[in-house]
This record gives sequence, C-alpha cells and structure tokens, in this order.
Amino acid sequence: MSNQRKRLTGEREDEDDEDAEGIGEWERAYVDDRSWEELQEDESGLLRPIDNSAIYHAQYRRRLRMLSAAAAGTRIQKGLIRYLYIVIDFSRAAAEMDFRPSRIAVMAKHVEAFIREFFDQNPLSQIGLVSIKNGVAHTLTDLGGSPETHIKALMGKLEALGDSSLQNALELVNEHLSQVPSYGHREVLILYSALCTCDPGDIMETIQKCKKSKLRCSVIGLSAEMFICKHLCQETGGLYSVAVDEVHLKDLLLEHAPPPPAIAEFAIANLIKMGFPQRAAEGSMAICSCHKEVKIGAGYMCPRCKARVCDLPTECTICGLTLVSSPHLARSYHHLFPIAPFDEVPAFSSLNDSRRTLGKSCFGCQQSLIGTGNKPGQCVTCRKCKHYFCLDCDIYIHESLHNCPGCESIHRPKSVSLMEE
Amino acid sequence: MIFKIEDVTVYFPYDNIYPEQYEYMVELKRTLDAKGHCLLEMPTGTGKTIALLSLITSYRLSRPDSPIKLVYCTRTVHEMEKTLAELKVLHDYQVLHLGTQAKILAIGLSSRKNLCVNTKVLAAENRDSVDAACRKRTASWVRALSTEKPNIELCDYFENYEKAAENALLPPGVYTLEDLRAFGKNRGWCPYFLARHMVQFANVIVYSYQYLLDPKVAGIISKELQKESVVVFDEAHNIDNVCIEALSVSVRRVTLEGANRNLNKINHEIDRFKANDAGRLLAEYNRLVEGLALRGDLSGGDQWLANPALPHDILKEAVPGNIRRAEHFVHVLRRLLQYLGVRLDTENVEKESPVSFVSSLNSQAGIEQKTLKFCYDRLQSLMLTLEITDTDEFLPIQTVCDFATLVGTYARGFSIIIEPYDERMPHIPDPILQLSCHDASLAIKPVFDRFQSVVITSGTLSPIDLYPRLLSFTPVVSRSFKMSMTRDCICPMVLTRGSDQLPVSTKFDMRSDPGVVRNYGKLLVEMVSIVPDGVVCFFVSYSYMDGIIATWNETGILKEIMQQKLVFIETQDVVETTLALDNYRRACDCGRGAVFFSVARGKVAEGIDFDRHYGRLVVMYGVPFQYTLSKILLARLEYLRDTFQIKEGDFLTFDALRQAAQCVGRVIRSKADYGMMIFADKRYSRHDKRSKLPGWILSHLRDAHLNLSTDMAIHIAREFLRKMAQPYDKTGTMGRKTLLTQEDLEKMAETAVQDMAY
Repeated sequence: MSNQRKRLTGEREDEDDEDAEGIGEWERAYVDDRSWEELQEDESGLLRPIDNSAIYHAQYRRRLRMLSAAAAGTRIQKGLIRYLYIVIDFSRAAAEMDFRPSRIAVMAKHVEAFIREFFDQNPLSQIGLVSIKNGVAHTLTDLGGSPETHIKALMGKLEALGDSSLQNALELVNEHLSQVPSYGHREVLILYSALCTCDPGDIMETIQKCKKSKLRCSVIGLSAEMFICKHLCQETGGLYSVAVDEVHLKDLLLEHAPPPPAIAEFAIANLIKMGFPQRAAEGSMAICSCHKEVKIGAGYMCPRCKARVCDLPTECTICGLTLVSSPHLARSYHHLFPIAPFDEVPAFSSLNDSRRTLGKSCFGCQQSLIGTGNKPGQCVTCRKCKHYFCLDCDIYIHESLHNCPGCESIHRPKSVSLMEE
Repeated sequence: MIFKIEDVTVYFPYDNIYPEQYEYMVELKRTLDAKGHCLLEMPTGTGKTIALLSLITSYRLSRPDSPIKLVYCTRTVHEMEKTLAELKVLHDYQVLHLGTQAKILAIGLSSRKNLCVNTKVLAAENRDSVDAACRKRTASWVRALSTEKPNIELCDYFENYEKAAENALLPPGVYTLEDLRAFGKNRGWCPYFLARHMVQFANVIVYSYQYLLDPKVAGIISKELQKESVVVFDEAHNIDNVCIEALSVSVRRVTLEGANRNLNKINHEIDRFKANDAGRLLAEYNRLVEGLALRGDLSGGDQWLANPALPHDILKEAVPGNIRRAEHFVHVLRRLLQYLGVRLDTENVEKESPVSFVSSLNSQAGIEQKTLKFCYDRLQSLMLTLEITDTDEFLPIQTVCDFATLVGTYARGFSIIIEPYDERMPHIPDPILQLSCHDASLAIKPVFDRFQSVVITSGTLSPIDLYPRLLSFTPVVSRSFKMSMTRDCICPMVLTRGSDQLPVSTKFDMRSDPGVVRNYGKLLVEMVSIVPDGVVCFFVSYSYMDGIIATWNETGILKEIMQQKLVFIETQDVVETTLALDNYRRACDCGRGAVFFSVARGKVAEGIDFDRHYGRLVVMYGVPFQYTLSKILLARLEYLRDTFQIKEGDFLTFDALRQAAQCVGRVIRSKADYGMMIFADKRYSRHDKRSKLPGWILSHLRDAHLNLSTDMAIHIAREFLRKMAQPYDKTGTMGRKTLLTQEDLEKMAETAVQDMAY
C-alpha cells in the first residue's frame, strides 16, 4: 500500500517538472482533481476515503451555536436592509495557483455564487463591488440591487497586478457608504489574498474611522492569518476567517449571506416607505426606465410614478421609491424567528432507552438512524417536538427550510400569533 | 483553585491548571522534602513561574514552624518585574483565602540605577556613575563633613532613611521595583538602602544572578541569607557561562593606562593626607596590623564590593607587611602594572597556568603570591581611608586588583591567555590579557553548599544530564516536561537541501559557496511570500550575516524580499538594534510585514520575544557553534575533558544546540500562540545533533520533516498556516486534556492513592 502512495507522490513531483512543457490530457485530470488527497491511511495501513461528514457537521454546529449564542434569550434585532461592499483583492498574490486553477478564478466564481445567494436571502439589500489592484482601490460597481450587473462587472476584470492596500480600500468604501440612509447596515466583506498591505498612511486611524462610522468589516483570508485583519475585524465587530480549501472558502463566504445581528446603539426603529409594484400585463408595451428602451411584457410598474422596471427589488429610477414584492419581505422574515438549534443525542445513552430504540428513524427523511455495523449513528433532536433527525436533515432544516417539520405537524394555531408579531 | 499535593495544600490563583504545571509542582515538592537540588526543564509559555511561586509559597504556609525563604534569581530586570507581578496575583489570592496570616514580604532588588529616586543622582548615564553619584552623597565621611560645611550636598532620602534607623521597615506585601520607588518617595526613604536592609527579613527576594553568583556582589548582599532558603535560577540554560564570567577578568591596554592614572591620583591623595591628616593613614596601618579590615567593621553604606574570590577561599589573616603602608602598596601595584604592560607587548598568543604566571611575576617583579591575594582588600581599605567617592573613575585599578587577587588565589580551573590581536582582525593590534575561568562549578559551589535547595529551571536544559556534570552537583530530581497542547502549534522542520536539491550548510568549507548562499536566499524569498507578518532569521555570527546580506544585495535577492516585507538588521550597537526592533514591531502591527535578521548568541536571541504575529516563522541558518579557534574556548574544552571527562565534540554540540533551541524558542511564548521553526542546515538531520534539542521541540518534529528541500518546506508551511488560522477549542477535546479543573485534580489524587494501595 505504501508503494502505491509513493508512486502517487512521485507522480506529483514529476508533474511539477512537466508543467512547463504541457501535460497530457489524462494527466491533467489527476492534476486538477488530486484524487489521492481524498484518501487517508487507517490504523492498519489500508486506504480509505476521508470521512468528512463528521467534520462538516461539527463546523456547521459551531456556526449554528455562534448564531444562536448571539440571539440568546431575547428577541434579536437583525439588520435586514444591508449595504454591503465586497472588496476583492486582485493584487499579485491573487495570481497564485494554490487554489485550482488560480485564486482569482476561484474567488470570482464563489463571489458570483455569493451575490446570488445574498440577494436571495436579503432581497431588501444592496451590494457594491470594489477591487484592489496596484495598491489602489477601484470601484467596479456602485451600490445596487441587481445581481446581474455586479456579476458582469466582476467577470470583466480578471487580472492580478501589483501590491495590495487595505487602507485605500477601506477609505474608498467608507466614503461610498457615508451616504447611505441611516436605517441601512453598513458592511464590508474583504476577500484578501495578499499577506501584507502597503498603505499610504496610518491604517490604525482608518480602522478607528470605520469603527466610528459603524462599518462592520469582515475579512476572509486566502492564505494565512494576518494580525492587521484580525485587529480590524475585532475592532469593527466583523468576522475573520481563513479558507483552507475551495469548499471551505465557499462555506465561509456563504456565512456572510444571512444578516448579522444589529449593533444595539445603532438599530433605531425606523419607518421606510416602500412600493409594491404590480406585474404588468402580458403583451403590454412600455419604455423601461432601467434600460431606456422599449420592452414588451414581463415588467413591473412603480405604484407612485407608473414607470416600468425590469427587476425587483430595486429603487425606482424616476421617483426613488424602494420597490419590493411581498415574497421578498416574507423571505427576510425567517432571520427574525430562527429555529432553535437541535440538541445532539449522545450515542451511548440512546441504546439504553427502549422508547428511543424503537422509533429509530429520522423524522425528516424516514431513514433509519442505525448507522453502519449496527452502531447507532449520530442524530439530533428538536427541543420542542422531541423528534429525531439525521445530520443531513438537521442541516437542511436550519439552512434551507427554516421550519421544523416536527413542530409544524403538531396542530396548533401558532401561525396566528406569528402574524400578530 | 486550591488542591493538595501529598500533604501540602497548594493555592493556585487560576481556575485551571495545565497538567505539566501540576507535575512540575509534584517534582518540586519532592525536592523540597528531600532538601536537595533539582533540574527541571519545561517549555516557555506553560506557566513555569507561577507554578514555582505558588508551590514554594504554599509549602512555606504548610510548614509554619520552619519557614523557608525563597530567593528567586532572574536574568533581566524585565523578567524580575514579570515575576513580581505574578507573585502579586498569587499573594492576593492567598490572602483572600487564608486571611492576614498568609501575608508575606516580597521585594525585588536591583542596582541603584533602577531603584534610586533622587533625580540628581539619576541624571548620571550609566550604572557605575549612578553608584558613584550616590556614594558622593551618602558616604559616611561626606556626611560627617557636611555637619561642618553645610554647602555639601547630601541625599535627603538617605538622610531620612538613616534617621528612621531601625524603624525603617517595609510593611508586608509584594513590592516591585516601581512599588519600592513609590514607597520610598512617599516616605522619603531611600528605596535602595531600604530594600537592601529588608533582604534579611523578606520571605521572597527576587534579584539578578549576580547577587548570588558573583562573589564581589554576593559578599555584600547575600551573606545574611539563612540556610533554609530555596534558591531558584530561572532561565538558567546559560548558568555555566554566568558562573564563568563571574570569575573571569580581562585586562587591556586601556585598563592599564587607566590604572596608572588612578595610581597617580591615589599618590596625590596620599601626599595630601600626609600633609593634613597623617593620623588617618597611621590608623589604617594599625588597623591592618590587627587584621581588622577583613572583618568588615565598616558601616554598611560604605562598602561597595566584596572580595572577588569565593568566601571560603579568602585567607583569614592579617594583610602582609609589605603592603600595609599606603605608599608601599602603591609601589607594588606600579610594579604589577609594569609587568602586565610588558606581558601585553607580546607578539604571540601565550597561554599560561596561574601557577607559572605567579612564579614568573615573583621572579621578575618581586611580588609574592600572598601579596597578590590581598590586593583587592588592600585597595578597598586604602580607598576608604582616602575617602574616595567617585568609584567609577577607579574601575581600571579595581579590575587590575581583581585580577591579582584571583590569580593569587586559584591555581586550578583557570588559565591566563594573552592575545596580541583579535583572531578575526589580525591587522589591528589589540592586545588583551585574560584570566579565564574554565570551571563553572567553582562559582556556584558555595550556593549549593550553603542553601537547602537549589532549583535550576529553564525552557531549554537539554541534554539534562550534562548540567550536573558541568556544575558538579547531584540533583535529587532532574526532569524534562513536555507541553500539552490542544493543537500542534509548533511546526519544526529540518531543511537540508535547497530547491535545486543541493545540500545547504554553514559548515566552514561550504558557507561561502555561492550555491548555498543562493539557496538560503531563495528559501527566505519563498517564505516571506507565504508567511504573514513577522519573520525572524538567525545567523551564526555577525561576520557571516554581513557577508550573506551583502551577497544577497548584489544578486538582487534582498530586493525580492523587500517587495514582500521590510528588512531590519541587528547590529552590535544597542541603540540601533532597539530602534530596529521597535520599527520591526510597528511594521508587523500595521500589516506591512517585516523580516528581522539577527545573530545567535546576540542580545536579541537571548532576551527579546517574538511572540504572536511578531514571529510566525523563525529560520535558523546553520548550527551556531562557538568560534572554535578561540583560545579561551580551547582551554576550556581541554579543562572539561581532563576534569569532567566531557568530550570536546559533545560540549560544542550541546552548546550550539542550546543556542539554536533558544533562538527558535523565541517565537512561541504561550499555548495560544503558533509558529514555525526551520533549521536550515543539513547537519541538523544527523541524530547526534538533533537528539540534543529539547524534548518539546523534538516531540513535534515528525520524521517526514527531517530532510526537506525548499519547495517541500513551502508546501508544509502553507498547510500549517492555514490550519493554524482556524478557530480552535481552548480546553482541548478528544481525550487530550490540557486544562485541569479542581475535580480533575481530585480524581488524579484518588487514583494515585489507589495505585499506591495495590
């Protein structure tokens, strides 16, 4: 077995040499997949695939605990209207190849996914894009609610050059965000691949400025932990994390999609004027206010000025009214009433309990909870309805469904009380 | 938390304890029970100091009938302050739980420079001139004179302290140097003399090594310590060198010139006294006849240094007749200086034993061994008689008398080496005459003999069996503890090959090879691009560092490094280095990133921490062997081989590896920290070298990391840094308990009892 491993690693060394001349297509498959990295040796020297599910679940549990710890007890305020700038570091370090095919491509790919997910979860929010290149920060797109424009602007500019400057980026974002309305939550998410920052001035002052203007800064590093990033996040209340691999990077990015808890002194209740436009009738013709051209059907009409817009949510270009649809509002709702995290069931105690051993199947997917080799697999239980769920369902319920099937199937007029709130 | 170790109730001021701290305490307690000495190695960052302090103070509390005193020796003032701060926390905790009966008096003692509160005295720039300025105001004759002449300036603090006399006492408590100064200022008492006075009453004394090891100082400060004391040497991996330095003297040309000037001045003074106050000189003469000077009938404030020889080697006799008269003594010193001057004129390197040196001194200058022995005491007595206060000016003659006394006293374990020039710069004549001590056990022997328990502890004492031989004592306990960690937060690597697979080393025949220099450069270039914040590099010597940096500059490697990080370099100038360090820290703080080039055995390697982001990676270029052609080292090696049967190679390797361990140990200062260590030399992969590294490094050095090339090291570093950046659980999971609570300890105690029963 060790022979085989040696050959595999040997292949990897060879591959480095051959990189220059170009490699055969069959080899490229190995280079890109790195399938051997998904194997590990067990105690007896046998190869087996790495069992990641436990690790992933542990990560997810920690995330959940973190969220619920913040929400502990009292009803929590969440910033549903967010103004988020995504800063992407396109400095020299972004051209590195430790993420395949390169950091820059991986970043762009996942930022795209993030933008879509973000608007899905926060229909009332807006995003802007900023890039750092040659030590200077550039605005790629201004704040806006349309995912397509951002993605287009992002994909158009994929090259990595020069140094990186955290201070320049923060200053630029700070300037942009100083104009947003007071009820909005200012956030910046920085994807940082460089390991140093060349700044024109004292970055500590800039950090204090961000802190003063209630700008929540979060950083996702791509290579290693940097002190200044950690300091920035600590000061401004953001999250700092470093991606281990591509999957982890994606997870870390998506962690920023749900709205963060609102900063207490800042979260003043405010009334916001909104319009709920009606969908225009099929076949009706109108000049679209966002594209400045004639379009037929499939648009929305601003209830105040009757201008036509293509997409929701957005701000009416004519009268400046925020336009949303009611499903958007409803979708933002679950952030306010999250389901409590499920309790983990210790594996050994479940065997003794006769009542539990009988109904050993997941309430969600109805699959047996007895794991392989007749050992009880890990499972979780809802605090309210006491039903059992498998780990996959646990994740599904908390991250996508936002309703506990167990609790929902108990018949009681809960929905009424919800509506009143 | 409060728990029991056997019959001692230990008060520990924190809620959790590391397992290794607990073990450390158990071993320490056994040592105290056995009233013996011990050697304990425990990595830095595991709370060695607090474990020591809390066990020893608790031990004292549990044996109220025979109170022990703790003498804690540190290397630097900074460490002293840190120790006292920890002690304060502990003391508060004990008082909280036990009430006022747990109150102790703990003081830190340092030189006048650190303790003085008189602003005029403090204005002096260095330690010796502060001492002299103090003496100018506090010497007994100056004070006596001031009653007649009111314009003589005295120190108010000292006057007040003298006035308070026996009432000048410190209330119980823990006093750092700052507290002592504040207390002194408040009461108007001199903190320095107060602290010295309180040494005999204090339960805990924290001071520097010299106060115990250097006989010149120890004779004054530490002579009243009782036998029931526990002496702790912290960070004691270099203790043998401290001992040797305490008994070594070197004389240069400037020393002789200065000594001559001093003699002129003394002569002048003698003449003046003869004219004005001949009675004083006569009185001194009579006193010497009776042998009084040796018995220390002089008042405390007037003594400044005791005999440089060890207490039991000092003759209890009257001063010989030929130097009793002041002018005769001055003549003898003149002849001695002349003789030394002639010896310094030599063209060749000379090595001599003290015996032959003394006999040739006798035949050529007519100075006997016994006369030499008394030089120091005689000088001291003379200077007191002549009422000389500016002692800093008289340093050269004191050095010469030091030399004379040591040469006269010791026949074994020393040698005299005269070098006409520095080996490394043969064109510049710089003659130096060194009396070098080879036997570290000489200076420390009185300490072992006098005190009940001596604890020698440090983060790097490997190989632990060598220290008892070097210091010639038998420890009752010698142990090395490992660090329990929640994650593998250190990553040592041995890099043997460059990216082109050619071996790298600083071996003499390879070090100037351009290929090696380039490979070393490439390693750093690659590393700075993947390691965040601070990187520290250690080189084997200043000259090697200068050479390699010059080459890197020519080949453009330095420029490549500068693209990623700023570069700072340690120099031999302390101020420059401090400035460089300061800017290095700022560069790390603001995210620019920086590299610090430093030298093993330098100031930075010994005393500066590069913890957290100030040092994520340390690269040790080469094996830091001592300069093996140095005559002093050769003489010492020969002595070690003949006397202790320690092979030259063993000692050299041991010394080099403890320096290397010391350098790389700079990066990790606590368990929450993490850092990488690269040993860049092919010689590290050999077992005889590697096995001498401390256990806590070895246990993390995986076999796969023993023979790396640059690109492999880069890959490992990348993975390591990513892994370490992930959040982690501080208490430790999966069976690796790294924080013990009260219950855990109780459980451990129970199982221990059960084991005993079986």
